[in-house]
Amino acid sequence: MTKSGEVHPIRPGVDTSYEAPRRLAAILAADIAGYSRLMTLDEEGTHARVKRYRRELVEPAIVEHHGRLIKTTGDGFLAMFDSPVEAVRCAIVIQQSMVGRNAALPRDQWMQYRIGVNLGDVIVEPDDIYGDGVNIAARLEGIAKPGDVFISGGVYEQIKNKLVCGYQLLGNRKVKNITEPISVYRVLPDYATLVKARSGRTLAIILGVSALASLAVAPAAWYFASQKKQSAAPQEQAAAQTASKLESAAAPQTVSPSKPEATSASPALPGTPQVAVIPPAPPSALQPIVEPEMVTLLGGKFAMGSNNDPSERPIHQVDIKPFALSKFPITVRQWKQCVAANACAGGVTGDDDDAPVTNVSWSDAQQFTEWLSQVTQKQYRLPSEAEWEYAARGGAATKYWWGDQLQPGMANCNGCNEAYDAMKPTKVGSFKPNPFGLYDMGGGVDQWVADCWHRNYQGAPVDGSPWLGADCSSHVLRSGSWRSDPNYVRPSSRNYYDTNARNQTLGFRVAQSL
Amino acid sequence: MDIGRIAFLAAVLALLPTAGHAQGKKPGKNVHLYIISPADGATVKSPVTVVFGLRGMGITHAGDEFPNSGHHHLLIDVNTALSLTEAMPHNKNYIHYAAGQTEAQIDLPPGKHTLQLVLSDSKHYSFSPPVVSKQITITVK
Repeated sequence: MTKSGEVHPIRPGVDTSYEAPRRLAAILAADIAGYSRLMTLDEEGTHARVKRYRRELVEPAIVEHHGRLIKTTGDGFLAMFDSPVEAVRCAIVIQQSMVGRNAALPRDQWMQYRIGVNLGDVIVEPDDIYGDGVNIAARLEGIAKPGDVFISGGVYEQIKNKLVCGYQLLGNRKVKNITEPISVYRVLPDYATLVKARSGRTLAIILGVSALASLAVAPAAWYFASQKKQSAAPQEQAAAQTASKLESAAAPQTVSPSKPEATSASPALPGTPQVAVIPPAPPSALQPIVEPEMVTLLGGKFAMGSNNDPSERPIHQVDIKPFALSKFPITVRQWKQCVAANACAGGVTGDDDDAPVTNVSWSDAQQFTEWLSQVTQKQYRLPSEAEWEYAARGGAATKYWWGDQLQPGMANCNGCNEAYDAMKPTKVGSFKPNPFGLYDMGGGVDQWVADCWHRNYQGAPVDGSPWLGADCSSHVLRSGSWRSDPNYVRPSSRNYYDTNARNQTLGFRVAQSL
Repeated sequence: MDIGRIAFLAAVLALLPTAGHAQGKKPGKNVHLYIISPADGATVKSPVTVVFGLRGMGITHAGDEFPNSGHHHLLIDVNTALSLTEAMPHNKNYIHYAAGQTEAQIDLPPGKHTLQLVLSDSKHYSFSPPVVSKQITITVK
């Protein structure tokens, strides 16, 4: 590593487990893009932020993934891992956490890491590591774009079947002071990047067939698609189904029963022979159904709850499995399809098809998910309360997903913005999306989740599943509505309502397990 | 406290002349809405059991359009005027008993709190004139 800035050894000479002079290791090198510019803007503030992020994000992420922080520089750090899978997971966690941290800040104050991961045989000294393997990681970091993770071909070979993720081959790159060109892959963070990447370069969508069980510890919002029950399936088929899932999860899609090609016509990913097997077409329905647009979330651990209200206590760690959540609350247009099929009742109020459906009870919402599952042959359901809060936070631990202060333009509530219409909600998607790309996760309409109401989190499940049982005559509402005051727009805020009662502010969104 | 209560009722009464809109259903005659327990001025422990009393009208599930009936809402520490043109809010201060409950357990932090019942129609709009109970004050230990 040739880095400007001071080098601080970490744990000098105390770790006896690393005495071997050489060993194979996954090396993670990271630095902050535009650090000098940030230092010029605000030297002390930037320094303090870097230190805080290191303490709050970087160091815990490395420990959690069984890595070791070798050293830190002014704006970067170097870490080593026994496992390339863990190293890349750690990189993803750090990048994702930074997205959450940046969400509330103006663009010019964003702090973004560039991360390179390489697998190499390195010389391990008690307080530093040396060798080509380290240099290549640093070079990968150097060519990575802010917010990106670049990995070498060696890492790719190790993780491609284990970490369910999109990888974009950037080709062989000649890097400074390294004789041989190295093959470089970019780990694809989210669907938007995936689409952008697909228009140009070779893209390989890889389905991990053996590492799914451990996926739950990986971070969220990076674009991963997985299908748990396929561990025995041939990779080609698995990859094809995953690719198909990418399509269905990412865009509103018309399922036409009379034309099964509607699904198979989704554009195949260039350069991927795996995309050959198409899942069976959904069975009959009378009319084409416009499915909700879904956003895939990888899940992971997060702190659920807050100390703002007794109902939100105690704050507890929850482990969320990968799932998809509709990008918007279910709209009047979508609801009308269910009504037209005689599968939903409910009082649709207002004639704006793009407004969120309101005046639905929990039972009405449940009925809608059952109908949608039936006509699409996909398992739609209400999200659990934990899933909802995880998704609403968008990776942030702050009071609101965008920070600790109220900001106009973020949510529709009574007191969130200068303009306010007391009589009806705005169209879905009228306000900014959160870092996970989800709209209206706070304000707009109250959103039913699968859980029965419990007055606080004493005894709540920690695996992200819905909390049922007890007196289930009331179900949990999340998000607050356009009529709520800003306190209810917080991602941790909880409310409830009678299960079978309708009210003008009650709506919902749908989820899918992956 | 009495001043606050009178102010609240005055505010409600002030709204009456504007109540000639589609939402404002007429309540039954000689209706009396009241809190059976706790008693006004009582000192209690949280969670507090509140029992609702109603004479002259019936209780139904929200959404059910039966004549001369409605469902309860418990207003906790609310001292603003009741709107007759907007549906009842629902939040931690406005608890709906839309399933037709006539008794509830509520969590309250220690200190003085006011409780008041309001009956609404099937769509959560207040009757006109409103059917409200006396606002009582309790102390939670």
